[in-house]
This record gives sequence, structure tokens and C-alpha cells, in this order.
Amino acid sequence: MAGWRLGIDIGGTFTDVIAVAGDGSARRSAKVPSRPAEPVRAIVDAIAAVDLSWDEVEEIVHGTTIVTNDIVEQRFRPCALIATRGFSDTIEIGRGSRRHLYRLDLPPRAAPLVAPAHRFEVEERMASGGRVVVDLTEAEIERVVAEVRAAGLDTVAVCLLHAFTNPEHEVRLGAALRRRIANVSLSHELSPEFREFERMSTTVLNAMMMAKIKQHLARIAERKPPASRVHLMHSASGMASPELIAERPLMLAMSGPAAGVSASCRSARELGIAHALTFDMGGTTTDVCLIVDGKAQIAANRDLGGQRIRMPMVAVDSIGAGGGSIARLVSGALVVGPQSAGASPGPACYGQGGERPTVADADLLLGYLNPDRTLGKSVKLSSARAAEVVGRLAADMGFTLVDAAVGIARVVSANMARALRRATVERGLDIRQFDMIAFGGAGPMHAAEVARLCGIGRLVIPAFSSGFSALGCVDATMSYARQLTVNMKSLAWDQTRLDGLLAGQTEALAASLTAAGHGRETLAVVHTAGIRYSGQSYETPITAAALHDPQVLGQQFDEAHRALYGYATGEPWELVSVRTEVSAPERPSEPHVIVGTDAPPAAAAPPRIVTFEDGTSASVTVLDRDTLPVHVRMPGPLVIEDEWSTVIVPPRDTAWMDGRGNLHIAVSLAR
Amino acid sequence: MSLDPVSLEVIRNGLAAIAEEMSMVVMRAARSPLLREAGDHSSALTDRHGYLVAQGQDVPVHLGVLSFTVREFLRVVPAGKLTPGDVWIVNTPEVGGNHLPDVKLIRPVFSGATLYAFAISLAHWADIGGAMPGSYYAAARDAWQEGLRIPPVRLVAGDAIDEEKMGFILANVRGPDERRGDILAQVAATRVAARRLEELDGQYGADFLIAAFDAIHDRAERQMREAITAIPDGSYTGVDYMDDDCNGGAPVPIRVTVTVAGDEATFDFTASADAVPGPLNTTRFIAGAAVFYVMRALFGPEIQASAGCYRPLTVITRPGSILDAGPMAPVVGGNHETCQRVADAVFDSLIPVAVDRMSAGGPTTAGLLIFGMQRPDGAWSTFYEVHSGGEGARIDRDGMAATRVHLANVMNTPAEVIEMEYPITVEFQAIRRGSGGAGAHRGGDGIRRGYRMRADDVSLTTMFERAVVPPYGLAGGDAGLPFTVKLIAAGGQEQTLGGKQNIRINAGDLVIAETCGGGGYGRAPEH
Repeated sequence: MAGWRLGIDIGGTFTDVIAVAGDGSARRSAKVPSRPAEPVRAIVDAIAAVDLSWDEVEEIVHGTTIVTNDIVEQRFRPCALIATRGFSDTIEIGRGSRRHLYRLDLPPRAAPLVAPAHRFEVEERMASGGRVVVDLTEAEIERVVAEVRAAGLDTVAVCLLHAFTNPEHEVRLGAALRRRIANVSLSHELSPEFREFERMSTTVLNAMMMAKIKQHLARIAERKPPASRVHLMHSASGMASPELIAERPLMLAMSGPAAGVSASCRSARELGIAHALTFDMGGTTTDVCLIVDGKAQIAANRDLGGQRIRMPMVAVDSIGAGGGSIARLVSGALVVGPQSAGASPGPACYGQGGERPTVADADLLLGYLNPDRTLGKSVKLSSARAAEVVGRLAADMGFTLVDAAVGIARVVSANMARALRRATVERGLDIRQFDMIAFGGAGPMHAAEVARLCGIGRLVIPAFSSGFSALGCVDATMSYARQLTVNMKSLAWDQTRLDGLLAGQTEALAASLTAAGHGRETLAVVHTAGIRYSGQSYETPITAAALHDPQVLGQQFDEAHRALYGYATGEPWELVSVRTEVSAPERPSEPHVIVGTDAPPAAAAPPRIVTFEDGTSASVTVLDRDTLPVHVRMPGPLVIEDEWSTVIVPPRDTAWMDGRGNLHIAVSLAR
Repeated sequence: MSLDPVSLEVIRNGLAAIAEEMSMVVMRAARSPLLREAGDHSSALTDRHGYLVAQGQDVPVHLGVLSFTVREFLRVVPAGKLTPGDVWIVNTPEVGGNHLPDVKLIRPVFSGATLYAFAISLAHWADIGGAMPGSYYAAARDAWQEGLRIPPVRLVAGDAIDEEKMGFILANVRGPDERRGDILAQVAATRVAARRLEELDGQYGADFLIAAFDAIHDRAERQMREAITAIPDGSYTGVDYMDDDCNGGAPVPIRVTVTVAGDEATFDFTASADAVPGPLNTTRFIAGAAVFYVMRALFGPEIQASAGCYRPLTVITRPGSILDAGPMAPVVGGNHETCQRVADAVFDSLIPVAVDRMSAGGPTTAGLLIFGMQRPDGAWSTFYEVHSGGEGARIDRDGMAATRVHLANVMNTPAEVIEMEYPITVEFQAIRRGSGGAGAHRGGDGIRRGYRMRADDVSLTTMFERAVVPPYGLAGGDAGLPFTVKLIAAGGQEQTLGGKQNIRINAGDLVIAETCGGGGYGRAPEH
């Protein structure tokens, strides 16, 4: 029989695993503690937790925060930078701006990634367009390679000016380096796009992560049986081979969130939802991402831990508000977050020394959290502690205790709604055309009210919502994406050059997939053209299977621009960049059917008093999610609990469960 | 009607979301490079009297401007003349403005027949006409040489653009197609704001929103009063200097006397110099913006950007002075040069009470170089670049190299973009080592960047400061090195350029900007 397939999401605290039998006949899931010091142990533990041995496993896809954490916590391996003569300080100059407008005490930016002594320059120069102005000689290559070796560095990043148009110098220098240095990262391979600082920063960060990821992959290779395969979840929400990740570890920068987004895409497709907004509310932050026409929105770059990364990644926005966010009164306004009580001491109701009121304390007082529930590590929630800290805030505001708790919930919802609206507006989309998919520890508790504020009427709390990221891993297909700069004006169209560029990019991506055993003819190729009117700086994305008619492209662009900004001018335009995604065929969904029942659902707990954001209170039935009937409409107010999370269905809203175990909530938008 | 803390925060978020949405529309759809790459634009909502209640992207220098624009506009255009679907355009400095390139579009927002708010979009256009491409004329001696002056004009009526007025404006600026794109982006931003405000109106009612606006002003006022209370009562004087008067003269003083009494403060700039002949003059609105910035940076980073914060502040400028030069004076550089010096002077005055919260002198100049070229098709192409420098050191750390400080935060243009779009080669961009001032903590270093021309007959405009009066040290630290721009002609002759010059340069000429280092903090250890 075919072996099992496992999705394993190694998070900061917990590792989630979902196992699917080769014939789709069975699914198992579990949670085990993560072990940051030995990530491979988490994989071994996860396999054991679903009662399997590694020999029974055909394939593992795992998401990991190794790279994310090293960047955020600034654990950087010393790295040499080689740049064009006159440009090595670009890594320190950056874009010259500062992060905090009014905070003089904070440094304007993160310290430069590469120390001055590790910056090297070579005599060479390309002009814009790729013409060689100063040739890179073999003697010069020998000199700089010797200097880097003399500095005792085993990691080097190369970023030469205009290498995105003509990589010839980087290719030759890279070949010489790779003969003698272990970890070499070349800018035109990582990010073949213009803007030298962003390309340089991306290349350096990638180089810095190489040694550690190679070690991680080697440890996995030692432990795993030869027949069992291991793949990794990359930032653009597909899976990648260990061979590619060894050279491009920075592809893992957003591995964790990408897994959750991947699972959401799958849910959206199964449910026939075209546009969805994912809402993953955790302890300190809430991650949101847009799915448009079934595809996750991809961002071309992002800042992570103060560092600029330019690679295709799921466009996840992190909002600084979650269950641990602290509420305080600032000059007469109730402000929640971005400060968080974090995991330690945690919210006051955890009874571990937290002294300031948090969202979780309000959730407990409002009856959202089950007061008799113990959280992992057997934390018993204390309503008394919550009442004490929220009570102090209430007294300052002249509110009752419950009104203060309602206030905290309303402010959090308003913060979230503002951030969600920003995420849609930034991409020129109307939030009311979206459904919401909510998961994560606190997501299902607050999602309905946030959806209502955004004008979103349909909310889904998917099956397996607490181990959702692992589900994203197990369902992942292999796909690679890369973006390159084209810079072609509609009035100077050169189809031959464009075809050449696209073919080169497509075949480079496809090669990694065919090497992993996929037939070239089975691969799907999608191009996303970034187009703008001459003079604009922001491109409007136009997605197409082929780009061979500038007239059609121009019409599509005008239409998209009109939809985004309310006008189009019909002026000349330019094709700035093309992102290409090559992917293997999707896995068929397994027919995991939940047997419907006519029996009344079981209570998970006695009814409790719940107060909603509109200020009304009621004694509310608490149902066990695992016993809900299928396709039966259940009017709110209602509380639905499972082992890991609580779903709040406010009054006037209606919930029902579908045959796959997804919980749907119709959110009333009437005023 | 007062608002409870929860409703206040919920509405505040809703209004901020609208202003942010306006900024994003301008950022993404506009044409002028300053708007798109550098974010040199702002959006705001005001109450029906023109008092600012919410701001989108936070550009400190624009706060002062937007806090006054609609109020001054209403003095010229009475509210009775406004109708739903209007958008007005204005750029004259005397109507709550700063300089001609910052063009404002103003839309009144109604609930039924009741005017209850305004949406305003400010954007720095790449050109507003006048003597030089880019509309920076260093030798300007009056306002007309600086470009097209647009008094309040109804450009959009019934939500339709008045093409006759549009044509009139476009006939007077370089790059009419791009400017049209800028106008359309700004109109679109105000339209989005009106639509969102209508949604809030439907949800809460206009009366409630009006009450919320008042509550927001009151809150900002309380915050500013708390900040002022942190300063001991007393009178403090400070001074800093502009390099020159744009006419070869000596450094020009900006003087302030700050008087603090309880929770109110007066900033009196009467003793500052008279108006100068060239474009370093500015308006009282800019002086207000600089004062607000310093208060927020030193005493209250959380103070909300709303008109209420000005209530406990009195800012006095003398008509006829460099900070209140009158409608006919040239002002284009004052917007970013003089405004930073106002902040420097206020910092200087507060040294006795707040030196441990301050940074030593930094690159308080845009360090602006504008290269103007005519393309083969006759169209103008303008490359407008600001330069970062070394941050001043602080009591507990060195200054950082290569950053923008205080009222400015515009990004640089990458070398690869410059070489793709203009006939200019960037020969190097490097840290100017050793340019930061010595001290117990060192000032940050400036940068060096070289621009080689690949075309003839390029017009170069300089607009920079801190070339004569360098960034100051604090508490015994040394000053940073001054800003220098050199021109090395193709033939090898070298000359140092002044801070306000217009010259012609040719293929092979190399322009090198060496930007100022930050001042040091505390006495350097003995060797």
C-alpha cells in the first residue's frame, strides 16, 4: 500500500501534524511541543504522536520558523559582500529613510547586515541595459576570491550593478567562488530585479541562512529512511525540494504563515468561495491575507525584523493585536495593543503574574472563554484575576466591569477592521466582496464582529481550524515563483525579447520541478505582468497564461486600472516586471466525509452568560463542535467549543456545519 | 456631548482608516516621482470648520500645513458657496500653504444639505511651472518666478472635472500629461473619502460624527497640555542659522523665545531675521508644524495629529520676517530648509531642560539636487534627489550613518533607477567616513555620491543648507562636517557649488555630493 503523507507545521510553541493515509481512507492529527534547539526532534515526535513510524511515511511536507526566527532575532552568520567598485556601502546607506518618525531615542534603522571590514569591491561595470562598460577580468576575480578567503569567511553574497539585466559578471565570479567557498549567494539568481539595495539585502540574508539550513536538511537526511521524502513549505505557499532550499533558504522566511494561507486556499476552492480574507488571530499578532479568485495574493517584497526581503511571498499583513494585547487608557481614549503580555507573564487571567488587562481577560469576563477550561501546560483561568485588572480600568473610565470588557472587544474589532480594510485597499480591492476564513487560537471568537464591521456577511471556521497550518502542508503542491524586471514600453514593444525572457524564467523554474519527477507537460505556468502608465511607480498586476499581444494586455490594464482607481487614460504604458509561477498538478481532495446525524448536538459545557459587542447579555447554550448536526441552521447567540478553540455566534447571526466539518456563520449586516 | 473612551477610539480608527485609504490611492495612482517613490504627499480629514481630525500618511511638515489650509480656504470661499460634488484646487502659500509645488485638492462632504467635513489631499507635484524645470529657481526674487499660483478654484463640480480650468492649469506646467495624472489621483482620493464618510454617516449619523470630531480635538489638546507640563515653567531662548540669505550674505538667524507657564506655551519667533531676497522664506504655518514636531518628539510621541493640539500653543511670527514673509516672497526652499532650522532653534532653546532627550545636530536639510533635461521628443524630464546624512549622537548611543531626520523622511532614488531613466551615471555611493562629529558618542557619517552627466545642457539646481553652519554637537561634542557639493568639469577643473544655485552642465561633468555628518554628544575621551 502507498505510505502515509504528513503535514507538519513546526511553530514557536507547538508543532501540529496531520497525517493522511495513502489511499485517503484515514486522517489523524496531533499537537506536540516544539523544540527550538532540535527541530528534527519535533518531526520525530510528531510522527510518533500520530502512531506511525517513519518507515510508514511516504512523504512529509513541513513548515518551519527556523529562518523567520533567525531574522527576527538577528542571529546572522558573518558574511562577505562583493559589490561593484564604489557600491559596497549600499548595504549601509539603504534607502536613507528612518522607521520611527517621532522616536528620537530609537535607532533609525537596524544596524547594517555586513560589517565594513567584510565589504569587498571588484573593478567591473555594466550600464543600464546590460552593456559592459568595464570588463571583469580573471585577475580581478582571483584577487577578490583570495581576499575573501584570507578574511576567513565561508559565506559570501555577490551583488553587482545591473546584474538583473546582464548576469555575466556575477556568473563568472560566482563560479570561481563556489569552487572554494561553501555558501555563495548571487543576486541575479535570488532577485533578478532592479533597485540595488533591495537586491543586495535579499542576497546577503539568503547567504547568511545557508549554513544553518544545510545543517538542518542534513540532519533530516540522516534520520529519514531512504524511501521517504521530505519537502519544505516555502513563503509563496507551495512546497520546495530540499536541494533548492539548500541554495535559497530565504524562501522559508514566511514558511509558517504560508502554510495557513495554503490551507485557506484549499478551503476556499472546496467551498466555491472566490475571494476570501484569512483571519488568523494569535496571542500577540493577527495575520491576514487575501485570496482572490482562489489564489493567495503574493507580495513582491516585505520587511521582516527590520530587514528588507524581496522575493515572492504570500502577502500576509501582521497586525499588532491579539489575545495578549494590553488595554490602557491614553488621554481619554481606550487603546488596545500593540504592547502585549506575551507568553510570559501572559494575560492576568493566566495567574502567572500578569498585572495589566488584556483582550483575553475581557474574553473571559464576557463569557467567550470557558472558565473551566485548562489551557496547555494546565493553566487554570482565573476570572477573579481578570475582574481585578479590568475592574481597575473600568473604574478609570467610569464604566461597569462588563462595559469595560465590551469596550476592549469593540476597540480590538475596530483596530482589526481598520487593518483589514488597509490590506484590501492597498491592493485596490473592495472588502465587501470577500468572505472571511477565521482560524488560530482567538480568531473564531472575534471573527463575526470583525466581519460585521467590514461589511462581510459570510464567515467560515474551517475544519481542523487549530491545526490548520499542518493541513496546508499536507495539501501543498510543488510550485516555484520568481519575478524579473522587463522594462518594456508599449510604444517600443519587442515580442522576441519578451518571449526570450519568459522562456528563460519559465524553464529555470520548471527544471527544479522536472528534477523532482514531474513531467514537463503536467506543469501549469502562470505569468503576472506588472504594468503601469509611464510615470507611475506602482504597477497594476495583470495575470495571464501567456503574454503575446500588447493590445490585449493594454486593454486588460486599462480595465484593471479603472476598477482600481475609477479612471483610465488610455496612455502609453510599460511592462515593468513579470512574475512567473510554475506548479505541479494539484492533489485531488480526499473525500473526507463527516457522517451526518439527526441527533441533537451535545452540550460541551453548561450554559453560561455571554455578553456581546452590542452590549446585550444572554444565557447561552455551549455546544460541542464534534457533535453538531450537518446542514442544520442554528440561530445565535451560541457558543461552540472544540478541544482547541471557541467559536462565538452573536445574536442575529446564524451558524451551520457542512458535510466536511466546516462551520459557516451568516453574519447579519442589517443595522 | 462628550464621547466615552470606547466610542472615541472606534471612531478615531474609522477616520484614520479613511485618511490612510486616501494616501494609498494617491501613492499608487500618481505620476510625480516624489509622490510615488518618496511618499511626498499627505491626506487628511477636517471638521466643518476646517480643523484637522485625522491624517493619513504622516509627513510631519505637512501636518502644520493641513491644519490650516481648509480654515484659510474658508476665509476666501465662504461655506455657502460649497456644494456636494465639488472639489477645489489651491496652492498659494497665503491660503494655509507652504510652497507652490504642494498642490491641495479640497472636497466638502455633506450629509443631506449639511456640510460636516472636508477631505483634503496634498501632493508635491514634480513641476508647477516657473523659471526652472522642477520649479526650484534658486535666484527667484518674487513668487511669480516660482510657478503657477492657483487661488481657490472649483475644479470639479457635480463630480465632473471642469476641463476648461484643467486645461488652463495644464497649459502652465511642464509635463501636462503627468500633472493630469496627479490631479486625477488626488480627485480619486477625495472621492474615496467622501464615500467612506457617507458610510460612517449612515452608521452613526452626522451629529454623532460632529461630536466625535470635537472629542478628538479635546483629546489632542489634553495630550499637548500634558506634554507642556513636563517642561518646567520659565523662559528659554534659542537660535540657529540659515547658511545665507540666497544673495551671498552672512548666515541668517532663526531666533525663538519659548515661554512655558503651566500647561501652555508660547513660541515667539519675532526676533528672527527679516525676509530674505531668495526662496528660503516660509509661512507661519510651517513654523507651527516645526513647533508641533519638536513637542511631539521630545515630550509626547503619542500626541494625536489633530488641530486640538494647537490650542495650548501660541506661535508668534513677525510679518515681514523670514517666517512670515507675505504672499509675494519666494518660498520654495523654505518649506524643507527653513522649517528644519525652526525645529533646530526650538531644540536649542530647550537644551537647559531636555538635553538628555535630544539628538545632536543632524542633516536638517533636504540636500536637494535637481537635474533638468529635455528629452529628444521635447518633453522635460526632471530628476529630483534628496540626500541623507549622519544622525546626531545621543546621550546613550552614536548617531547612525545615512539617514533623514526630523521633519523630513523622503527616500533616495536607487542608482539603477537613475541610470535607467536619465542620462546620468552614478559613479559611486559610499559612506563619508569620519564626517560625524567626535564626542563621548560620535555623530553618524554622511554619504558621498557622484553623478556623471551623459548628456549636454543639463540644468542643475542646488538647494541645500548646512554647508556653512554645520550640524551642532551637544554637551561638549564636536560638530559634524558640513555639506559640500563639488563640480568636476569634463576638463578636470574643480569648483565648489553654493547651496542655492542654478547652472548648466554638460556630458562628462561629474557632480559629487558629500553630505553632512551628525554632531557628537558629550566630550570625546582624552587620548
